[in-house]
Amino acid sequence: MSVNGVQIVALLIVAGMFLLFILGGLGSKLRQASDYGFSGSYSGLVGSGAAIASNWMSAASIMGLAGMFYLKGYYAMAFVIGWTGGYVLLLVLMATQIRRFGKFTAPDFVGFRYESATARTVVALISIVITIIYCVAQFRGIALLISWIFGLEYQAAVITGAALLVTFVVVSGTLGVIRNQSLQYFILIIAFVVPLMLINRKLGYFWVLPQFGYGEAIITLQQQFGFFWSEPFASIDLFQWMALCFTLMFGTAGLPHVLSRFYLAPSMRDARWGVVVGLFFISLIYWSAPAYGVLARLFDARSGNPYKIPDPSQADLVTLTAALQAGLPSWAVGLLVAGGMAAAFYAAAGLLQSGAAAFAYDIYPRLLKPTATDADKVTMAKGIFLVLAGIVMLLSLNQVGMIAEIAAVAFALAGNTIFPAFLLGIWWSRTNAAGVLAGMLTGVLITVSSPLLGDLIPWVNTVFPLTASAFVGAPVVILVMIIVSLLTRPPSDEIVTFLIRDVHDSGGK
Amino acid sequence: MSEPEDRRRSINMLRPLPGTMRGEVQVIAMLLLAWLVAVLGSQLCIWLLERSIDGFWLTDLIFFNLPIHFWVSGQFLPLLFIGLCLLFNLWMDRHEVRRMESTIRFRATGRKKEEVAP
Repeated sequence: MSVNGVQIVALLIVAGMFLLFILGGLGSKLRQASDYGFSGSYSGLVGSGAAIASNWMSAASIMGLAGMFYLKGYYAMAFVIGWTGGYVLLLVLMATQIRRFGKFTAPDFVGFRYESATARTVVALISIVITIIYCVAQFRGIALLISWIFGLEYQAAVITGAALLVTFVVVSGTLGVIRNQSLQYFILIIAFVVPLMLINRKLGYFWVLPQFGYGEAIITLQQQFGFFWSEPFASIDLFQWMALCFTLMFGTAGLPHVLSRFYLAPSMRDARWGVVVGLFFISLIYWSAPAYGVLARLFDARSGNPYKIPDPSQADLVTLTAALQAGLPSWAVGLLVAGGMAAAFYAAAGLLQSGAAAFAYDIYPRLLKPTATDADKVTMAKGIFLVLAGIVMLLSLNQVGMIAEIAAVAFALAGNTIFPAFLLGIWWSRTNAAGVLAGMLTGVLITVSSPLLGDLIPWVNTVFPLTASAFVGAPVVILVMIIVSLLTRPPSDEIVTFLIRDVHDSGGK
Repeated sequence: MSEPEDRRRSINMLRPLPGTMRGEVQVIAMLLLAWLVAVLGSQLCIWLLERSIDGFWLTDLIFFNLPIHFWVSGQFLPLLFIGLCLLFNLWMDRHEVRRMESTIRFRATGRKKEEVAP
């Protein structure tokens, strides 16, 4: 239902969902966790898993992935495998050890492990850049949804979205709302899967498990419309596909806000088992996302345009267009909009706040004002939050790419810098500050090498593509870290002893 | 373990310390190998199928209602990753129990020695 170009039902559902999250957050503050419905009864394994999954969910998962399937077909499977396979790396190589370090942020970890304030500052700066890139992807999702709800132009929607986000964070902060991640995850999954079930049901497909039911749409596309999905590597070669897939995996194991879940886990066992349940919850979304892309293709074919070349600027809204083309009721479409909005909003708000904290606690007192008091740092964090939101808003005004592609650049940067720093920091005690600094700077250069040098040196575009540079990049960075570490002074005995005694399992001694 | 002995030792994934770390590293290596083979192998197979008989296998081989490559990459691999994580955790749970037992034995022995010493 639309009044003066405003989608009233969708707007009400979005507003209702945010109200529910705020009330849910207030509830968990006022009551004991154990006697509160959603958050309390799931405080154990399911709670840790839901927290990992909702912390992970963003516009890239809820909107971008389906858009990629619609636009590029099988290519998008690299995102599904990359964003789930990365958790295997994270679990077996890092989760318990990070928890044992007892540090609370990526800069803290690196500063402590490498005994270097410079390394700490560099990681804080890299974290802020990752935040900005990742948030540009979220802002794109927010802007597309807002432009649909209010019938606004894209740029006006970016500005409106930024204003709403800042207002939301300020109101939540003032009311003392705590993010209720279990509640959020379960609402997100309902908002994402129920409309998909309804579309499958309307089409007469197996709707109980739409993650399998959409296969019939692929077969219909082949048999009735001659649209085949049988050339997975037609638009991208195997190497490029692998490069993207592994970049996303390395990035998953290097994104500061993903790693942060493990510093905060109540116990090591919780840190480990939370990953299994969390990965299952994340997979529920990723098993479903391809269906939206495929179904949108089917609707295009049914309207007489099976080979339509999709408009990339609209492909990210494909979950919504599929639901609209299927003729779903307004509440179901509203649910999808609200799910996308919540994922993008919370991802952006969380990242901007942690980016602001990285500046206020790691850079400001070290580089700008050594005498800063705690009150100064809090004020600075608030101010920097606004500055970062402003920067992200300005960068989002131009449509620079698809949500999933923009997010992939952030993954590439994390995979080229923070992932090797953590990996070697945990698993090779000889790595030192000089090694990690040289490696991370190499990683930054590798990440930006394609746009900077791609025209001059064409092979750079093939080996280090902007969205997929960590496949070759991360091993190169690891090599640089090893060589420079071996050429310079070893780390102190204290840190080696700490690694042996406290971080690694050296036989309970 | 005395301090000087600790100093001579170091953490290196390729040369794990004797004892429980060695077992942990072996399990990690096996799981990562399975993870790598699954990702590389599945895509290589799909790539080969695409190139054989005009992609016949990818249009006509339907598994769980989906063309084989959609099923392998979109459904099976995430499930396999969950399975690998599950295996790791089950092993680690048992491993931690063993480790705790050895710690208790170590401490009990240590206490006894102290009692004997003047």
